[in-house]
Amino acid sequence: MKTTITTIMLGLFLTSMISHYVRAGDDIDRTKRPVGKPAPKIQLPKIQKATLKNGLKVWLVEHHELPTVALNLVIQAGSDHDPVNQPGIASMTADVLDEGTTTRDALQISEELESIGASFAVNANFDGSFLTLSTLTKHLDRALDVYADVLTHPTFPQKEFDRLKNQRTGTLIQQRDQPPTIANNAFSYILYGTDHPYGNNPMGTEPSLQTMSREHLVHFYETSYRPNNATLIVVGDVRLGDITSRLEKALADWKTKELPSSSVPDPKLIDRMRVYLIDKPGAPQSEVRIGYPALARSTPDFFPVVTMNRMLGGQFTSRINLNLREKHGYTYGARSVFSFFKGVGPFSASGGIVTEKTDSALHEFLYEINLMRQKGMTTDELTYVKKGLLGNFALTFETPSQIAGNLQNIILYGLPEDYYENYLRNIESITLNDIQRVAQKYLDTSKMAVVVVGDLTKIKEPVSAMKLGEVILCDVNGKPLP
Amino acid sequence: MKRVIGYMIGVIVMSSFTFTQVNIKFEQYQLDNGLTVILHEDHSAPLAAIVVMYHVGSKNEKPKRTGFAHLFEHMMFQGSANVGDDEHFKLLQEIGANINGFTTEDGTTYFEVVPSNYLELALYLESDRMGFLLPAMTQEKLDNQRDVVKNERRQSVDNRPYGTANEKIAKALYPETHPYSWPVIGYMEDLSAASMEDVQEFFRTYYAPNNACLVISGNFNPSEAKQLVEKYFGAIPRGKAFERPKPMPISLTEEKQMTFEDKVQLPRLYLAWHTAPRETREDAVLNVLAQILSDGKTSRLYKPLVYEKQIAQSVFAFQGGSEIAGTFEIQVTSKPGKTLTEMQVVVDEVLKALLTNGVTEKEIEKALTSTEAQIINSMATVLGKSTNLASYHSFTGNPNNINKQMDLYKGITPQEVLATAEKYLMQPKVVLSVVPLGKPDLAVQKGH
Repeated sequence: MKTTITTIMLGLFLTSMISHYVRAGDDIDRTKRPVGKPAPKIQLPKIQKATLKNGLKVWLVEHHELPTVALNLVIQAGSDHDPVNQPGIASMTADVLDEGTTTRDALQISEELESIGASFAVNANFDGSFLTLSTLTKHLDRALDVYADVLTHPTFPQKEFDRLKNQRTGTLIQQRDQPPTIANNAFSYILYGTDHPYGNNPMGTEPSLQTMSREHLVHFYETSYRPNNATLIVVGDVRLGDITSRLEKALADWKTKELPSSSVPDPKLIDRMRVYLIDKPGAPQSEVRIGYPALARSTPDFFPVVTMNRMLGGQFTSRINLNLREKHGYTYGARSVFSFFKGVGPFSASGGIVTEKTDSALHEFLYEINLMRQKGMTTDELTYVKKGLLGNFALTFETPSQIAGNLQNIILYGLPEDYYENYLRNIESITLNDIQRVAQKYLDTSKMAVVVVGDLTKIKEPVSAMKLGEVILCDVNGKPLP
Repeated sequence: MKRVIGYMIGVIVMSSFTFTQVNIKFEQYQLDNGLTVILHEDHSAPLAAIVVMYHVGSKNEKPKRTGFAHLFEHMMFQGSANVGDDEHFKLLQEIGANINGFTTEDGTTYFEVVPSNYLELALYLESDRMGFLLPAMTQEKLDNQRDVVKNERRQSVDNRPYGTANEKIAKALYPETHPYSWPVIGYMEDLSAASMEDVQEFFRTYYAPNNACLVISGNFNPSEAKQLVEKYFGAIPRGKAFERPKPMPISLTEEKQMTFEDKVQLPRLYLAWHTAPRETREDAVLNVLAQILSDGKTSRLYKPLVYEKQIAQSVFAFQGGSEIAGTFEIQVTSKPGKTLTEMQVVVDEVLKALLTNGVTEKEIEKALTSTEAQIINSMATVLGKSTNLASYHSFTGNPNNINKQMDLYKGITPQEVLATAEKYLMQPKVVLSVVPLGKPDLAVQKGH
């Protein structure tokens, strides 16, 4: 009885507060949602193209809002070119590239770039290697001088290579502290194995670093860093004629060479679900990964898959996140993603889960994936995600680095040059049938692996009791324990 | 008439160094209820950033009630009188917006970047939660977000190597009554204790228009935007006055040396000193000093520790200036097999040399060049410009300081860097050794 009265009083109290607030809102009806005005036209960046005498393709987008210029040389060879028994070569080549040239030592290169406030980096991922530079326009000449020198006259000094090898060994040791990184690396290994480039850590392993020599780097550089294997993206405060004449001069020594043919092998498929557990004693959270080797960037199903996944786990209001975070409070965030590479990349559903709820969270992940596979989505949901993708498109051409990233996509994956012109149309044309078809085809949980990094004394029993499949205890690399 | 107000960049020449001058044009006014509105037009892309910054952060909390400002930030996404539980996110993700919020010691910021035709929707949503949040607040939602925040703490603090180091440093550096002595995310037991009443009281006190500023930047028509702002925010009542935490004299009377065993592979040494608050000349000078110490291969600490002797995995120095106090910190992670005493010996040598011989003009110029590039790059997006304008308004009372960021760095001399280093780095400090479990012998030994 008492409870009832309290509830009613609380109800009245709330009502009076609401009316008070609404009155305060003057003459506007706040229950009516503002609707959008007609969408503004999106001005796609105009790409200007040139080819240097040595065959290097240059793509320029002029952007005069800031007095800066960004360069990104995209080289079509990355960790996917690492020999399977010697991972880490592409990324180490990138690391050592700016450690010495025929006329500059490591400290001079660093000092010269710092003194003009330029940021310069060489990186490699599975799909390519990248030399990026960002500088104020007023320092372009000096920055370009160093950039071209590093690209065309690197010496890969033994001393610097040894130092960086040592440093990377330290980084690999540190990675063992980080449950999300342990989970990612083990997940890749379990999905692809060590005889596939995607199964290896692109940074290499401690044994592979020990046997890696300077000659490996020189060979990779000589083979892959060639103008006929690269495209230079320039975005910023310059004009085409101006930048090409500077580049002709700076890159005159850089010569083409015949490229060996290469392709990423297809991964083996998983025949049935297994559960891989990795111990992290005392961990307050379990890092969960569920997935399988799914699709390459070249798949004709790219647009329906991206649209379907946006609803499944690709945004805050996705089914997976609303279920695991907002409804159940198991996690700070849960998601799913199809990672698209040149070869077949993984699908993964993931999250850091409070230890005590690891089994419940696995249940919810699988429930959402299976539900999408069986039922697809509703008309309202499809309208909702399509509208989101269309609206978000307008936000992805604001900055020079976003524009450069979009160009890099086209170059790296050989997308049609009118890819972005047709992007909106490709999204708009997706139907419920398309969604149903790709969900059915690409979300088969019985062909997925489940990887959990957490405190085994607390999670092994409840997770095993779910009987999802054979339970395999693994070391931090994802290798089964004896 | 078509108006294009981007912003112009000119060049001003000063004694030894030529700076690129940033000139962000904006219009600022106040509603009757005290809400500050800042409009910056930028028609270069069909989007708009809407930023609402409340001048409240973890420093407005009380001991035993930590983590409140941040927990509250979560509640702001859980619906308001006219917006359903998950609707705030749903309505914005439906239009492809980028959305988030973040909390610091001093401020809580909410933003959405939207296709510019949806400006009105964003203003509607921001105003509904500014004016009408409490009617929609329920115990269930609070409990759920408390769980989410606890998960956030597990993920970003408790399950992360070295994750609790900064909490330990703050606790040692500041007296218990100082609001910078507790972490923004709060302690688990305090999060458990947060009640509905606490949350409501917090909202009534701090989430008032007169304690907030609204920045719109991007592709919009200013007279239309002003009408919309008045329409949605104009009738929200002004809040009561409250007292802000003031700077208080703080100093360490003696060096505090601590060791913490953590689930880490490599030991890490932390040194921390009291210094100056943000937006002060000393804050700028200490930023320069930090860059001289650890930015780039030739910097004072990186070169001996990481490049030459190769006994450290990494080194990092920074000045963290907040609203009412600042700290200067050096972090050195050692290579496998090395002790933190070895790190400390090199750091001591470097600091001693610096405090004896000072720094060079060239080192200062390098730091200024990179600071200039950072400032310009922070203006690359409408969101970057909006959050900058909001911060300068909240923390300096004058958003135009966005255009004067480099002024604080004008004419810094080697003598000034030396004097500032002497003033702060010769004071007692906190020394924290984080070492692998069972390896206390790797910590800095007494006497260093």
